[in-house]
Formats: sequence, structure tokens, C-alpha cells
Amino acid sequence: MPTIVGLFVGLSGIAAVFVVRALTPALGPWSLPNRVQDLLTLSISVIIESLPFVILGIVLSILVQVWVPDRWIMRILPRNEFLRRAMISFLGIFLPVCECGNVPLARGLIVKGFTVSESMTFLLAAPIVNPITILTTGQAFGFDSWIFAARLVGGFVIANVIGWLFSKHPDQDSLLTDRFAAECRLPDPHEHDQTRWQKSVELFTRESGVIMPALFIGSLIAGLVQVAVPRSVLLSLGSNPLWSILAMMALAFVISVCSNVDSFFILPFASTFMPGSIAVFLVFGPIIDIKMLTLMRTTFRAKVLVQLTVIVGLLSALIGLVVNYLA
Amino acid sequence: MPRFTRWQGIALCVAALVSTVWLAVTNQLILYIHPRYIVFTVIMTVLGLVLVVASFGRSPDREHDQEHGEPTPRGYRRAITVAGTVLTLVVAIALVIVPPATLTTATADQRVINSTQVGSGTKTVDSAASAPAGAFARFTVLDWSSLLRQTTDASFYRDKAANVVGFITKDADDPQNVFYVSRFVITCCAVDAQPVGVPVFLPNWQNRFAADHWVKVSGSFESNPSTKSQQSIALVPTATTKVDQPSEPYLY
Repeated sequence: MPTIVGLFVGLSGIAAVFVVRALTPALGPWSLPNRVQDLLTLSISVIIESLPFVILGIVLSILVQVWVPDRWIMRILPRNEFLRRAMISFLGIFLPVCECGNVPLARGLIVKGFTVSESMTFLLAAPIVNPITILTTGQAFGFDSWIFAARLVGGFVIANVIGWLFSKHPDQDSLLTDRFAAECRLPDPHEHDQTRWQKSVELFTRESGVIMPALFIGSLIAGLVQVAVPRSVLLSLGSNPLWSILAMMALAFVISVCSNVDSFFILPFASTFMPGSIAVFLVFGPIIDIKMLTLMRTTFRAKVLVQLTVIVGLLSALIGLVVNYLA
Repeated sequence: MPRFTRWQGIALCVAALVSTVWLAVTNQLILYIHPRYIVFTVIMTVLGLVLVVASFGRSPDREHDQEHGEPTPRGYRRAITVAGTVLTLVVAIALVIVPPATLTTATADQRVINSTQVGSGTKTVDSAASAPAGAFARFTVLDWSSLLRQTTDASFYRDKAANVVGFITKDADDPQNVFYVSRFVITCCAVDAQPVGVPVFLPNWQNRFAADHWVKVSGSFESNPSTKSQQSIALVPTATTKVDQPSEPYLY
């Protein structure tokens, strides 16, 4: 009766955690040093803010892998690789998950049959080319602004350039971590006698085993950097055309804020920083930040992430310089 | 996938999901995220818990079947894996046992008070000039700090009594006589919190209060009597009292 025992132990564990969580505040205030307290508050804030999107991403990944027939996604995509990647860039419109939720979804797409470069295109485009991000960016900066256009076009172009570059790699599987590549090689679950529900639960367990530790580590690092790096250092660079771009990249990297709301976060900086640097924050941030790199590391090799960061950084900086010149 | 990794993920889910539910039930989720995300967060948390409970009922034989083909880390990779696991567990334990708290003066100092304009819905000089007399008593720290950024004309603030609540942050230039009554303004979550503050001139304030104390300050804005502070206008209090932290410590 392993399932009954498992259920009993698991539910008891949940109850025990709930009791501990409910009782510890009554033990009195903890006199942690301010910096340690803020490190915990910031790290926990990243976890709680990201958690619903991660769950949603895993659920969508399960839907794509287990419940959606192959033909629904794979067969409607064009055969031409450029058109195919361009169309994949717009998948975020139908699957509007925040960037951290896109990682499990992108993993599911690879398992479903996407090439690594196609999945990468989706992963990079979806946080920007999705209805929530489009709406919030337009509300914040105006639908006719250079910043709005630069973000939307820039996100699309960068995702497709990255997809094209990595599609030239002769061995796509070598871009993946050994663990994930091994998972992709597992036989089709439908060959076993598992029901779809059993397979869904199996996938949830597997994906949370990969994504949750990365989320916790990424949150801790993001909190550490936020506590350690004075914001004044970045703010002092706002009016220089080049330094402001680099400062905004650094801020986006550190802050790790969700792409659906980053426009409202960065809006107040628009009076201090040049428009190109604001555009860079909005293009670079959803693709590369501390939390995202940690999450992407569950899927891609470190070397790939370094290449990705450099290329996205250069392309974002170019977009920023162009906007600074035009706006 | 090794069995430990699988159950580590589920254990972390339990820590995060149960803590989130408890924070929501006790109305403390707002210490970490903007109120507009609470409903979405709770819905996804409940969905996550359902999946976690379902995972408890799985037969362990199946996971054993799928452990083929996966390399085991060795050497320094193994050390990194172990260190990562330990750090992850430390965060999870902190999530479950450390009492929830707002950000402190450490972050306010690190992010520089009033270093950026905050939000599009803040008060403008024009809207404040046309506000009825009684409205000023309801202006928040965010409203006043926004006005102070726009004008330092002392005549604008004449006959506008202020009544604000916030935590104390030292003024860097004249910590003896001036402090900021401060709040954090958040857009999405505590990570993007921006500190705003109103300078208060109260000589030797440290005899009665300390940094991080929550206070209610009533008074009026005048030319700052401090010779060291860089703030030309300051709130000169008629009453300053220590208060409990409000149930919604952040402004939006």
C-alpha cells in the first residue's frame, strides 16, 4: 500500500510545516541584523512573486507534453526555419507566462519535439511578445513611444537572431545539460501503462525537482546582490549615453523583476536615464537576469548561457544606442 | 532523476506553498508582493498544493524506472551540488521559521531615499493647490515627498498641515537633528521597493527614537532650520509619537 502510506506521510508533513510556520512568530521577534533580515525578505519576496508563475509554467508544460495532441502545435508551424522561429516567437501571445514560468514550458517544448534553438527562441521572445507585457509597456510609456517599439521589435529580433545562431550548431543536444538531455532521451511515456493523470503528476514531480532548487538559489543570489550593491552607484551613471545603458543592464540583471510589471518599475527612472537605456532595461531584463540564468542553467550548459548573455547584451546595447540616437 | 532530487523539489514546494498560504491567511502576503497579485498567487498556490498531494500518492517503482542514463556528478561538481542543496535548504528553513518582516533602513539607505520619482499617480503641485484644506491631513509620505521634489517654495506649504506615518531613517548630512519619516513604495514585490521620505527637523530625536521605529508625525512644512542638511524644506513637528507598524507598511 505505498500510495496510502505516501499520502499519509505527505499530508502529515504539510500539516507539520503549517504548524511550525504558524507557531514561530509567537516565539517573539527575531533580532536579526538589518542586512540579514532584508536579505531574507528580498529572497523570500522573489520566491513568492515567482512561485505562481513557476507553477503555471509547469502546468502549461504538462498540458503541452501530455494533453495537447502533437498536431496542434507541431503541425501548424511552417517548415521554413525562419518562418517557423518567427511564428514560435508569437507563442507567448497564447501562453502568457512570466519569464520564470517559461523555463519549464520551454523544457516541455523540447521534449515535445522543438529543436533546442526553437525552444530558445520561444524562451527569449515570450516574456516580451505577450499581451500582458505589451499592455503594461504601452500603458507606462505610450503605444507610440520609441521605448515601446524598441522593446517589442528588439525582443522579437533578439530572440530570432539567437535562435538562428544556435540553429547553426551541428549538435543541438550538446547545448543541453547532461541531465536534461538524458530526460529528453527517455522513452515516450505513452508506451508505458501510465494514465495521463499519472504522467501529469510524474512530470510535476520531475519539473519541480529541477526548477524549485534553481528558483531558491537564484532568489538567494538576487537578494545577496541587492543587499550588497549600492543603488547610488548605478543612478550616478544615468545621463551618459553609454554608461546609462550599461547601468540599466546591471540594474536589470540584479533586480530580476517580472517582465509583466517591469515597465511600471522602471518608469520613474525615465526622468533620470536616457530613453535608450530604459529600452535596454526592458529588452535585456526579461531575457538575462540572476534568477533567469539560474533557472536556465537547469536546461542549458554554462557555456551556452555565457554566449547567450554576451550576444543578448551586445544586441540590447545596440538597440539602446539606436534609440538614444533617434529619440 | 535521483530520488533525492525529486523529493527535494516536492519538499521545497511544500515549504514555499504552505508558507504562502499561511501568509495569505494572516494577511501578511503584502509584506512580499503587491496586493493585486494576491488572488492569482493564492489560486496558483492551491493548484500547486493539489499537485504536491497527488505526487505523494505515486508508486515509487515508477521513479526507479526512469533513473537510467543520467550521469552522477563527481569531484568539484559534486561539491557544488552539495553546497547548492545546503543553501536551498537554508532558504527553505528561513521561509518556514523566520517571522515575516518588512524591509528596513538598511535597504532604504542602500537604495537612497527619494532617488527616483515614484509612480504616475502621485500628487502634483497643481492638484495639491486645488485640494480642499482637510485633504492635506490624509496625504501620505509618498504624496508629500512627491510635492517636495516638485517645489521647494515655502509659501506653497503654508497652511498645509501634515500628518504622516512611517519609519525613521537618519538624514546623512545632519543625523543629530533631521530624520526622514519613510515608507517603501512597491510596484510588484519587495524586490522593487523604492524608499521615499519626508525630512523632519527634530533636534536630538535620537533621545526618544531610534532608526527603524515607526512614528506618526504631525506638523507643518517650513524652511529647514538645520544648517547641515541639504533639504531646504522640512517638516517641523508639533507632535511625534511612536506607533505600531501599520498592517500595510508599503505604499503603492
